[in-house]
Amino acid sequence: MEYIVETHNLTKRFGKEIAVSALNLKIPKGEVYGFLGPNGAGKSTTLRMLLGLMRPTAGSVRIFGRDLKKDRISILRNVGSLVESPSYYSHLTSYENLEAMRKILGSPKEKIDEVLELVHLSKAADKKVKGFSLGMKQRLGIAMALLNDPKLLILDEPTNGLDPSGIIEMRNLIKRLPKEKDMTVLISSHLLSEIDQVATYVGVISKGKLIFQDSIKAMRKKAQLKIRLKVSDANNAYRSLLAKGIKTDYQDNIIYLYEQSDEAVAAVVEILVDEGYSVYRVEEEHQSLEDIFLKMTAGGDDR
Amino acid sequence: MIAKLLATDFLKIKRKGLWFLTVLGPFGVVLLQWFNYELVPGRREWLLQRSDDDWLFYLQNVNSFTPLALVLGITILTSLAASIENETNAWKQLVALPVSKMGVFLSKFTVLAFLLAVASVLLFFFTWLLGIYLDLGSVIPYAEIAKFSFYPYFASLPLLALHLWVATVSNNQGIPISLGVVGFLFTSYSFKLPDWLPWKWPSLQNQWDEPLVNVVLGICVGVILYITGMLDFARRDVK
Repeated sequence: MEYIVETHNLTKRFGKEIAVSALNLKIPKGEVYGFLGPNGAGKSTTLRMLLGLMRPTAGSVRIFGRDLKKDRISILRNVGSLVESPSYYSHLTSYENLEAMRKILGSPKEKIDEVLELVHLSKAADKKVKGFSLGMKQRLGIAMALLNDPKLLILDEPTNGLDPSGIIEMRNLIKRLPKEKDMTVLISSHLLSEIDQVATYVGVISKGKLIFQDSIKAMRKKAQLKIRLKVSDANNAYRSLLAKGIKTDYQDNIIYLYEQSDEAVAAVVEILVDEGYSVYRVEEEHQSLEDIFLKMTAGGDDR
Repeated sequence: MIAKLLATDFLKIKRKGLWFLTVLGPFGVVLLQWFNYELVPGRREWLLQRSDDDWLFYLQNVNSFTPLALVLGITILTSLAASIENETNAWKQLVALPVSKMGVFLSKFTVLAFLLAVASVLLFFFTWLLGIYLDLGSVIPYAEIAKFSFYPYFASLPLLALHLWVATVSNNQGIPISLGVVGFLFTSYSFKLPDWLPWKWPSLQNQWDEPLVNVVLGICVGVILYITGMLDFARRDVK
């Protein structure tokens, strides 16, 4: 697989505190990589190191197969970014803001109208950013990030401050970009639901450590189904099932089944009824991605 | 790359009052002399009696305010220029572009040095025009006017470099402003300051009575402080 971003033992220390610890990110080409972690896990610090804003304490970053330390400027020519709260010059209009960036990037002037159109800010092109709502500022930030037709787009919490329709638009835009513009997108969030809806690849960071990195499909596979049974006198029911050679789990008066086929469930219910237990509930328990994410990041505590 | 950065920086100082201050500074300095000579009846005659060389005496009067205006101007201009980037932490946006951090710093310095140079040129013209208006004599000492307009500029380059450095690396703009206030007080009493303090240099005074010493010192120390500031700026992480 071709990796657009590859970090090797990337580490950042602030004084004694280790913000990012030996991170080995691998971001495959053409994917939307969701970089997930609770607040303060080291997401922004990592993104800042990828953009050369911060110097790693140890480790290295390779983007487009080149060393960031050596080729920073030529790499950044093909990177668009929006890190944390959007930066802009409030005394300038949105057009002037983009023009200030365009002058440095050397993109053609038409690109400004194009990106303004893309984020639905064409009407506000000649308005000073001072009066913009948070959502409009966020869109302007996205427009800035797209100005140079980047091959790698880095977005830090891009749906911050957007209203629901804005969030949906943003999602659709992010999903479209890899196909239409041959872009690789790195998007960070502390909300799994955000990542779940756009990402094709996931990295989970907790306390500065990467604790999971794979395709979103692989993550979903971790979300297993369980059948839970609520019966009268559950403790004895559990023993009777065990005596019949059916392995189950018993927890807080609830019996969990491992076997999930219709036949297996039917057999268990039949046994319980035969033995005189009342079966109150037979339910499917779905472990959501959110649960998995919580378990993963909570597990980070012990390490 | 530096040309692109400069174009961007000139766009960014729009509507921020930097150009206005650039004109206001020299205008104010010369206006004070108009007050000095013209406001009180009979004062002009009295002033003219006090020296043999009316033009030189007038230029010295003008120059008593030039260093103060320069120190004040440097403080405000650098602080405004830094606040443009600090306001929404646009440094992170700027430095994530394909530019070198040293280029970013050089561009800021160049814009400010240019504005101050424009102010010095204006000072030359305003001084010259008021001198003619005050009828100080038909032989106009252009070389002297130029000396009093441009020497303080070069002598104050270390202060510009120092202020830009402090303003760009401070998250709290109170720090460069405080430095400016202290500098302003120093400059007000420049005749009492030792020769080695840069705040004395714009006054063009020194123990050898040779203003050119201040100019040379200004350029040399200015370059050293500029390079130090630039290296420190480039070394720091962008938050």
